[in-house]
Amino acid sequence: MTNPVLLNARHVVFVAALLFLAVLLLCCFIRAVLGPKVADRIVATNMMGTIVMVMIAILAILLNEGYLVDICIIYAMISFLAVIVLTKIYVRVYQERKEKEHPALLQEQSAAKGEDVSAENRKGE
Amino acid sequence: MWEWIRFLVGTLLLCAGIITFALEVFGVYRFHFVMNRMHAAAMGDTLGIGVSMLGLIVYSGFNFTSLKMFLVVVFLWLASPVSSHLIAKLEHTTDEELEDYCEVKG
Amino acid sequence: MKKNSAFSRWFYGEKDTLLGKVEMKPQNGHAPRAGEIRELMEERRLIREHIYDVEDNQKLRLFHRLYQAAAVVFCLMLMLIMLVVVSWLPENGDPDNPVNNEVSARYIENGLQETGAVNIVTGMILDYRAFDTFGESNVLFISTVTVLILLHNKKKEKKTSAEGGMRADKSIYEENLILQKIAGILVPIIVIFGIYVILNGHLSPGGGFSGGAIIGAGLILYQNAFGFEKTERFFTEKTYKWVCFVSLTFYCLAKSYSFFTGANHLESGIPLGKAGAILSSGLILPLNICVGLVVACTMYTFFAMFRKGDF
Repeated sequence: MTNPVLLNARHVVFVAALLFLAVLLLCCFIRAVLGPKVADRIVATNMMGTIVMVMIAILAILLNEGYLVDICIIYAMISFLAVIVLTKIYVRVYQERKEKEHPALLQEQSAAKGEDVSAENRKGE
Repeated sequence: MWEWIRFLVGTLLLCAGIITFALEVFGVYRFHFVMNRMHAAAMGDTLGIGVSMLGLIVYSGFNFTSLKMFLVVVFLWLASPVSSHLIAKLEHTTDEELEDYCEVKG
Repeated sequence: MKKNSAFSRWFYGEKDTLLGKVEMKPQNGHAPRAGEIRELMEERRLIREHIYDVEDNQKLRLFHRLYQAAAVVFCLMLMLIMLVVVSWLPENGDPDNPVNNEVSARYIENGLQETGAVNIVTGMILDYRAFDTFGESNVLFISTVTVLILLHNKKKEKKTSAEGGMRADKSIYEENLILQKIAGILVPIIVIFGIYVILNGHLSPGGGFSGGAIIGAGLILYQNAFGFEKTERFFTEKTYKWVCFVSLTFYCLAKSYSFFTGANHLESGIPLGKAGAILSSGLILPLNICVGLVVACTMYTFFAMFRKGDF
């Protein structure tokens, strides 16, 4: 891209895209703070990670440095891992809390669910 | 002449991607339940990343950077559905009023 | 290493180092005397009264209050001293600062020729200042050992609470088939990417630390998808010990001569090669690999310790 008009236009387009994505990032962050449930916050964090990935890729083209795209892969991996570990830990925390409050109720629920599932399996077969 | 076409195609794709992200954020704000928000986020993420990275690949031409961006897209398309699956499982396990507004099977 | 040799028993901590060297009288069996149990209980009651019993012991309560106040005052004094010291530092960017001497110019101008690394930051931390990086890897090792001492719980008593939780809802605890299939595809990609980042430390940004973190994250993903039993097949405490021991010893043998000869003593005999090729810049590539292995093991060990207390 040697045409100076093109270079200028490219610069303008990229900077505008970056600004717009920054505003979207702030909105996602507000959603993460507001969301009443845990799952809301996890969804918002995942979205923030994806928006940051696009911003880094735009920066990599703007500054003409090819190795910045490696960081995008790392961001995808980190946000994926975060979702996995957070969901597992939160489910375990919730179940332990439930067990402490109503230990007998939980056994009944699990027995009922086991019967329902086995009845459905038999019907399906 | 080709450079102008490349510039225009790349800009169009990048704008489409960013509009998708904007719609996704708007959707997450408008819906009231977690499951709907998660659905909006997953769809918007996947399409937004795909189209934006395609636009940037068109910008940067045929070199190693484009290959890395393609790898990023492949990675995210493999990993994002699993994230939504796990979040849905989390919501199903911990929400006590799920039966009120959603049909649950199994 | 040969089993049951003296070195292997010392290495695994089974050998009693004082046996045969200290004069010991033969010990009789111990049977409690008539009043001994009562004496022990009396001792315990006294200890509890003097050290732990806060409600009745006035002196002890006063001491606790004073201790808390003194702790707060001590922390505030430390903070004040450090803030005063910071206010005495020279201004940022002053050309007379000690940091703006000729060292940085020398590194930038002669870095590529002397170390052979295109990425002069890697050339600096693994060639000019390799001893510092050795200290950093040791710090990682020491912190992991500390966490292991505090949190490693080899008994299987945790199984009861985990089983109780599992029985209630099997859907997310047990093997999640979707996660397993995807992890089967993604973990090799992540590990290969981590190896790429480690090997390209001297050509592009990356190096041992970031590549090791990526490999550690890959191992964590594997554990989350497949559970602890399958991960124990290839990563146990023994693996951790051996990997860290070999990596740190290799690093020490390669670069700690600068402790005696002074820094910037660079000749190691290995040819520098062509700049920009993978096999260039002497010892930087093996050292990157060592550092990467240490960091990967550290990441996974921290995760396993905080999650379950056992590998």
